[in-house]
Amino acid sequence: MSTNAPPIQRLISELAKLPGIGTRTAQRLAFHILRADDVDANGLADAIREVKERIGLCEECFNLADGPRCRICLDERRDTAILCVVEEPGDVIPIERTHEFPGRYHVLGGALSPIDGIDPDDLKITELYERVAHSEVKEVVLATNPTTTGEATALHIADGLRERSPAVTVTRLASGLPVGADLEYADEVTLSRALAGRRPA
Amino acid sequence: MPATLKTDAIVLRSIRYGEADRVLHLYTPAHGRLSAIAKGSRRAHSRFGGRLEPFFRLTTILHEGRSELRTVTSAATLAGHPRLREHAGSLDAAARACDAVGRLFETEDPHPGVYHLLANELALLDDDPAGATLSNQLAFRLKLLLAAGLAPALDACASCGEQADLVAFSPAAGGIVCGACEAASFALDPAAYSFMVGALGASLAAAPAAPMRALRQVERAITELAEHHAQVRLRAAGSVLSAPG
Ligand SMILES: [Zn+2]
Ligand SMILES: [Zn+2]
Repeated sequence: MSTNAPPIQRLISELAKLPGIGTRTAQRLAFHILRADDVDANGLADAIREVKERIGLCEECFNLADGPRCRICLDERRDTAILCVVEEPGDVIPIERTHEFPGRYHVLGGALSPIDGIDPDDLKITELYERVAHSEVKEVVLATNPTTTGEATALHIADGLRERSPAVTVTRLASGLPVGADLEYADEVTLSRALAGRRPA
Repeated sequence: MPATLKTDAIVLRSIRYGEADRVLHLYTPAHGRLSAIAKGSRRAHSRFGGRLEPFFRLTTILHEGRSELRTVTSAATLAGHPRLREHAGSLDAAARACDAVGRLFETEDPHPGVYHLLANELALLDDDPAGATLSNQLAFRLKLLLAAGLAPALDACASCGEQADLVAFSPAAGGIVCGACEAASFALDPAAYSFMVGALGASLAAAPAAPMRALRQVERAITELAEHHAQVRLRAAGSVLSAPG
C-alpha cells in the first residue's frame, strides 16, 4: 500500500487517470507540483477549473467554444458553402494550420465503432444532416481519420448525405503517401489509393 | 517460450495507446489471440505504414520482452482487403466478424480453423462487398460456434433424442427440441432449421439464404448458445449501418 499522505495519494491517482500517464510518471508530477511555488501550482488548478467552467461545445459545429459559438463559426469571412467534417475538436487544429480550408467545420465527437458500442446516435451525425439540409452548404469534405473506424464513419455519412441532400457534393480527403515517407514502407492499401489518386506531374 | 515469434496474424483490433503507439489484438493460426504493442505506429512515417489497421492479414515478427505485451518488430502484408474498405456494409461486417472471433476465442489456445475461417470471411467480403449479408454473417458465426465446440445439436431433440416434431430451439439444451421438451425454448421455423443445417454443411461462400424472420431466429439461437455455454455476449450480427430501411 501507499506510504504517501492521503492528499498526495489523491493527486497521484488523479494524474494517473490522464492518457499516457502511468503511476510512476504521476508520482513524479505530483512531487513536482508539491515542490513548485504556490503561484504556479494554483495557476494549474485555476486553469483546469476555468477550462471546465468556460469551455463548452459550439452550438453550431460542436467544436470547443468559450461562448455559445466558436470563433470559426463567428468569423464572417469563412465560406459557409463548404463544411469540413472531423472526428474530434483536436482535428480542427492541423487543418487550420494549413491555411488551405476556407469553410467551416462540423465536429462529430468520435468515430463509428459498432464493436465499442459507438453507433450513429452517439455522434453528431443527425445534427450534420440537419445542418446541411437547412443551410447553403454546397460541399461537405469528410476529413475523418484514415483509420478503419474513420473510414466506416465517412462511408456511413456519405451514404446518408447522398440520400438526404443529393444536391450537395460530398468529398473525401485524398489519401496517399506522407511527405518524406519511404515507398518501401508504404502498405499496399495506401499505395494503391495513392496510385488511384495520381495526378498530372 | 522463444524470445521471437514469427507468425501470420489477422488484426482484430487496433487501440490507440500513448502518444504514438497502438496495441493490437491479433488472431494467429497457432497461438490463438495475442496482444502486441506496435511502437511509433501512429506516426506518419512509421515503417509499418497503414498495415496494422484492422482486417489486415500479415506475417509478423513479435518480440517477447519482459513485459506481458509482445512488441511488433516487423509486419508484411499477406492481404490488405482494400475493396471491403470501400463500403460501409462490408466494413461493418468485417468488424463484427473480428469482434465475434475476439470474444469467443480470447485466449492463446490454438484454433487454426478459426484463423482460416476468418481469413476466408475477409477474403469473401473483399471479393464482393455486397456479400456482407445477414445470412453470410450468421453462417460465419455458426462455423465459429462449431470451432468452439458449441455447434447446435440439429440431428434430434437435444433433450430427449426424439427425431420428429422438432419445433423449437433450446439454448440450455444446446440445440433443437421436440414439442414435448419445449420448456425454456423458443419456436423455430423450418426455414431457420434448414438454414443452420445448410450453413454448417456448406462452405461460407455457399451459405444458403433464408427469410428475415428465420434469420432472426438463427441469430437468437447463436447469441443465446454463446451466452449460455461460453458466457460470451456477441454483438448483434445485423448491422445498424447497412440494415435495410
Ligand atoms: Zn462552431
Ligand atoms: Zn424432446
